[in-house]
Amino acid sequence: MPFQLTDEQVLTRDSVREFAEAEIAPIAAEIDQNHRPPLESIGKLAEAGLLGMLIPEEYGGAGLDALSYAIAIEELSRVCATHGVLVEAHSSLCTWAIAHHGTEDQKRKYLPDLASGEAVGAFGLTEPNAGSDASSLATTAVRDSDEFVLNGQKIFITNGGFAKTFVIMARSTDAPGVKGISAFIVERGRPGFEILEPERKMGIRGSSTTPLAFTGCRIPAANLLGQEGAGFKIAMQILDGGRTGIAAQAVGIAQGAFEAACKYAKERVQFGRPIAALQAIQWLIADMAVDIAAGRALVYRAADLESRGEPHGQAAAMAKLFCGEMATRVTGKAIQVHGGVGYTEAYPVERAYRDAKITEIYEGTSEIQRLVIARHYLR
Amino acid sequence: MRIVVLHKWAPDPQEATVGADGSVDFSRAKAAVSDYDAVAIQCGRQLADAAGAALVGVSVGGEAAARPVATKSALARGLDEVVVVSDPELEEAGSARTAQAIAAAVAALGDVGLVLAGDSSVDVGARMVPAVVAGRLGWPVLADVDSVALAGGSVAVERLAPEGVQSISAALPVVIALTSEAVKTKAPGMKDVLGAGKKPVTVKSLADLGLTALSEGAVTSRAKLGGPARKGVVIDTSDPAAAAAELVDALRAAGALA
Repeated sequence: MPFQLTDEQVLTRDSVREFAEAEIAPIAAEIDQNHRPPLESIGKLAEAGLLGMLIPEEYGGAGLDALSYAIAIEELSRVCATHGVLVEAHSSLCTWAIAHHGTEDQKRKYLPDLASGEAVGAFGLTEPNAGSDASSLATTAVRDSDEFVLNGQKIFITNGGFAKTFVIMARSTDAPGVKGISAFIVERGRPGFEILEPERKMGIRGSSTTPLAFTGCRIPAANLLGQEGAGFKIAMQILDGGRTGIAAQAVGIAQGAFEAACKYAKERVQFGRPIAALQAIQWLIADMAVDIAAGRALVYRAADLESRGEPHGQAAAMAKLFCGEMATRVTGKAIQVHGGVGYTEAYPVERAYRDAKITEIYEGTSEIQRLVIARHYLR
Repeated sequence: MRIVVLHKWAPDPQEATVGADGSVDFSRAKAAVSDYDAVAIQCGRQLADAAGAALVGVSVGGEAAARPVATKSALARGLDEVVVVSDPELEEAGSARTAQAIAAAVAALGDVGLVLAGDSSVDVGARMVPAVVAGRLGWPVLADVDSVALAGGSVAVERLAPEGVQSISAALPVVIALTSEAVKTKAPGMKDVLGAGKKPVTVKSLADLGLTALSEGAVTSRAKLGGPARKGVVIDTSDPAAAAAELVDALRAAGALA
């Protein structure tokens, strides 16, 4: 399945790379060291059209196809994985959900602000006792006249510290298992909606990852997203697109580390010549290049299927599984090429290694991806 | 009024390789709108918006110059439209032939008050084209310009000189070559990228412009480029102090330092 990128996809890659190197690269190490969310980037990302990628033009977005979007996430993540996931969670998990499942009123109310950066989006599915087993979620949304009353807790919510528009999954009927789950749009600042202290993480340290607490939080019934009881199905659709996005993030992290390793191998001299002349290093570089190319091909395949409206859940799971594990492999080899200095904060590969690990975990662990893939073939 | 910006679809020197004999191999370098031309386009966009003028890109070259990816790359940076003179005779043309084709394209457009060029072409870097274009058009040329402002029928520019800032005014029409720092460029946004393909592109041949035989002019002298042969010494910089000492020793050994 050959992929010939369109002119627009080539320009998307080049433009996002130029943007990322000019605006993000200078702060990438600092936000990691200080666990600091890059709030100053939000306006810049919006101006570059990177917060409205999955929002249709009539609501202020750019309306990009899924492959262009994946390319943009890769390019952001090549320079800084924190920015990659900030944009990915905002886009795949929030704006896509409202654009595809929202009513006309909901789209007009929320999408323009999400495209302009006035609001950043987030998504709340995971709970303390509902991780991979999302069907066990315990947050409730009880109908009271023309409102729903939310109670419960969410954890590991990307962009939680500064997002204004949250897509929240909660149990709204007594129907057992996944059938009782519905999706809601919840605005920051609602009484009874509290954002708790952010996690201090191993990687993507600039990404704001917070718990959310709902205590008698009243939201208008009009904030129900999609049909009541359809929340789990919506969540799984959201994650199909999201997994391609995280796979693209993983490719970007690996690509950045790979380029750093090539540069270092050509500069570092041992035994009287650059270490790039040593076959031991050449083999590492070759294996990294093949790994990245294979991962990117899986991402392009999943995104291409999604762009053409074809079923893409299994392809997205394959891309997410392979690319997450690939990014950990490749960034580890990038440190190996660097030797001792690669283990220090003076070089970007140690950050890449820490950032890569999460791509094997969030938006579905590698084990869940294997489950999705196996079920596709064994059904 | 139209403001014209000159831009070239040229291989990126960052991706070129330099051989042991000093020769430069561009064969594996990806083509792009150069950083210098991006400065000219962005400056032109600001001037055109302020003056209510149309911003037209003019590019000349071989077949590659007219490829959609080439014209869209320039349009995404803010041009309103592009005119490409694409002709086999312009493949790797020198400054004189390039400038003749540009001048003819500018003359054919009509109502052009200002032609903006970047500091130089990114691959050749001769810095001659703006002056030759101006000569062909019979207009003045101002080079090494750091800032430009239009006021009625004239232009006011500033140039940084060792003794201070030099301010010059000139009546339009005029050709201006900008420095690479004249404006800070900005990457095209996603809407710019998607909108680029919807803007008009006109492709012309030399014959369309009434040009038959282009001349590179008489060659008055030739000089082989490049200095002494490279020694290929690579210094390990992992210990900066030791690397500096090694560099000094090498320069002394070569007689470059006393």
